[in-house]
Amino acid sequence: MIFRHLKELYDYRNLIWQLAWSEFKLRYKNSILGYFWSLLEPLLMLLVLYTVFSNLMKIKVEYYQLFLFIGIILWGFLSRATTSGMFSIVGKPGMVKKIYFPRDIFIISSCITALLMSIFESLVFVMFMIYFRVPISINLAFAPLILLFLFIISLGLSLALSALHVFYRDVQFIWQVLLQVGFYLTPILYTIDIFPKDLQRFVLLNPIARVIISARDTIIYSSPAKMEDLLFMLLSSIAFLLVGYIIFSKLEPRFAEEI
Amino acid sequence: MTAIQVEHLHKTFRIPHEKRTTIFETLTGVFKPPNYEIFHALKEINFTVEEGEALGIIGENGSGKSTLLKIIANILQPSSGKVTALKKITPFLELGVGFQSDLTAAENIKIYATIMGMQKREINNKLDDIIEFAGLEKFRDTKLKNFSSGMQVRLAFSTAIQTDPEILLMDEVLAVGDMEFQQKCLDVLSQFRKDGVTIVFVSHDLGAVRRFCDKTLLLNKGEQVILGNTVEVIDRYVYGSGNEVPNSFEKQNESEIVETEVKSEDKNSMCGDKNIEITNVEFYDKFDNKGARFNSFDPMTIRIFYNAHEKISNPVFGIALYSENGENLFGTNTELKNASIDSLEGKGHIELMIERIPMITGRFLLTVAVHTHDQKPYDWHDKQYSFDVIPTCREVGLFEIPCSWKICVQPSDFMNRFEINKNGLNEK
Repeated sequence: MIFRHLKELYDYRNLIWQLAWSEFKLRYKNSILGYFWSLLEPLLMLLVLYTVFSNLMKIKVEYYQLFLFIGIILWGFLSRATTSGMFSIVGKPGMVKKIYFPRDIFIISSCITALLMSIFESLVFVMFMIYFRVPISINLAFAPLILLFLFIISLGLSLALSALHVFYRDVQFIWQVLLQVGFYLTPILYTIDIFPKDLQRFVLLNPIARVIISARDTIIYSSPAKMEDLLFMLLSSIAFLLVGYIIFSKLEPRFAEEI
Repeated sequence: MTAIQVEHLHKTFRIPHEKRTTIFETLTGVFKPPNYEIFHALKEINFTVEEGEALGIIGENGSGKSTLLKIIANILQPSSGKVTALKKITPFLELGVGFQSDLTAAENIKIYATIMGMQKREINNKLDDIIEFAGLEKFRDTKLKNFSSGMQVRLAFSTAIQTDPEILLMDEVLAVGDMEFQQKCLDVLSQFRKDGVTIVFVSHDLGAVRRFCDKTLLLNKGEQVILGNTVEVIDRYVYGSGNEVPNSFEKQNESEIVETEVKSEDKNSMCGDKNIEITNVEFYDKFDNKGARFNSFDPMTIRIFYNAHEKISNPVFGIALYSENGENLFGTNTELKNASIDSLEGKGHIELMIERIPMITGRFLLTVAVHTHDQKPYDWHDKQYSFDVIPTCREVGLFEIPCSWKICVQPSDFMNRFEINKNGLNEK
């Protein structure tokens, strides 16, 4: 059953890519600075947060700019993928009502669009790395795996959100609030050490917290990812994808009638 | 081999009286009973389409044709029953699905062709052909939003026909557009037929259905009325039979009569001393059913009901037929046809039998009158009655003129023969 669906998705790989790529191109089609907006947005955010947190709050962390930047990029990906994924069914009534292909293609391709944008942003991050002469090590090899986990978690969330959004239009507002809260509950601006040991365990229940921490460890600080973190991320990404997919496929048959 | 199999198909829609679209409404509405109506869009539909066959689906608006097509296309799910398609389905429900107005023509072709299931290499090979066929070579890199809607349809159509369908689902949306475009669509359809593509074709254009479909399914209010030979099904649709369909004709007739009475007051188109009154006029088809729609070239009977309030000798009944624009097409009366009536009293009716309706298509108006031998009217209903003629041929115009072609070639004249072959008229 699952394998048949995967095979079907593989047959549609061209369509997934076409949709993702055209969406990516469309995003900046009518703006003068074009793709540079994509770079400017996280840079401005970095500038504000860096100024506030390094000067006012006296946070002392090695490579704090990069520490902050990696968090902003990864959280930015999650937020962008889930938000655009959420609108990917509701926003295309023509396609949903007039033609059939597996509808999760819409969500997969919108997550890929978000990924493309985030990869583009990380070019600046690479330049930062070079500028600050951050040493890199073999541990960098963990990074793609960690990013894959993040992608799968975002995909699972998007599947559930997009399906629920068809039936309940206030899902979008609830999700925006949750994203806001999540931004501060996840160690993006601060290190997890500011919490007492007992509380740290709760913070680490959030898989995104582990994604960001281990991404920092492997990319900036040249240390290997913890086995425990990798396992937790693996299990939670499977769980997110599974739950998301079940919700999606339960609601999917009625999409064309409800939109 | 069977290409599509539909078994015991039912489809119901829930139509809520107040729609709950937010979580808040759903939570507060938990204790209220759900308030919706069940609408049966399709009831007990059964049919199979064999490979290479063309099935037409006809019916009034709202009879479930498009719903059925969407279920076959897997866009909607059946409420119960089963639809099995054993081949790849290409739906042409709407042209240009997924067109993005901010992308260029070439980019849109790539996306649309991918949606229609074409492979990447195929698309790259055919891209120039598609643009050329649409006649848009100059606008290859123009954004779609700067295209006229006609150009967009052309672009979508020339892309869509490049697909290599096994089962083609075609909705009547293709029938929009000008004559030339419609002809193009029909040409493509017949090409697909020749190539052995299985086709399901939904249309109001009975002429097209008659031409293309091996068999036809007639739906009425979601129910399968009849499935069978196209000619028979179209007859059944046009003339109706059994109880349901003629009722709607009667209603139509009644409303027309009410309408005409209103009309008559302000136009004063009824005149005469009413010594004989025309009480009603009805049209009957070849099955002797009352109706207001007729196939061209079919027989028809016009029945005129009268009521003579006193004994009248030598009345003359007459009719005049008009096109919708008011041109007088034909007129005759009992005197001209040597059907003299000595005298009349009381109620009765007379009939005018038409062996073959020569009109091809359109709405026609009928004037009915009864007058004395020297043209003094008793009763005169000017253009009070109307009926529609539905085309059964590909010829155009208002009337068919009985005719045939004869090709004359002198066997020795080589050049002449060549000319005719080139024009595709006939060999030899």
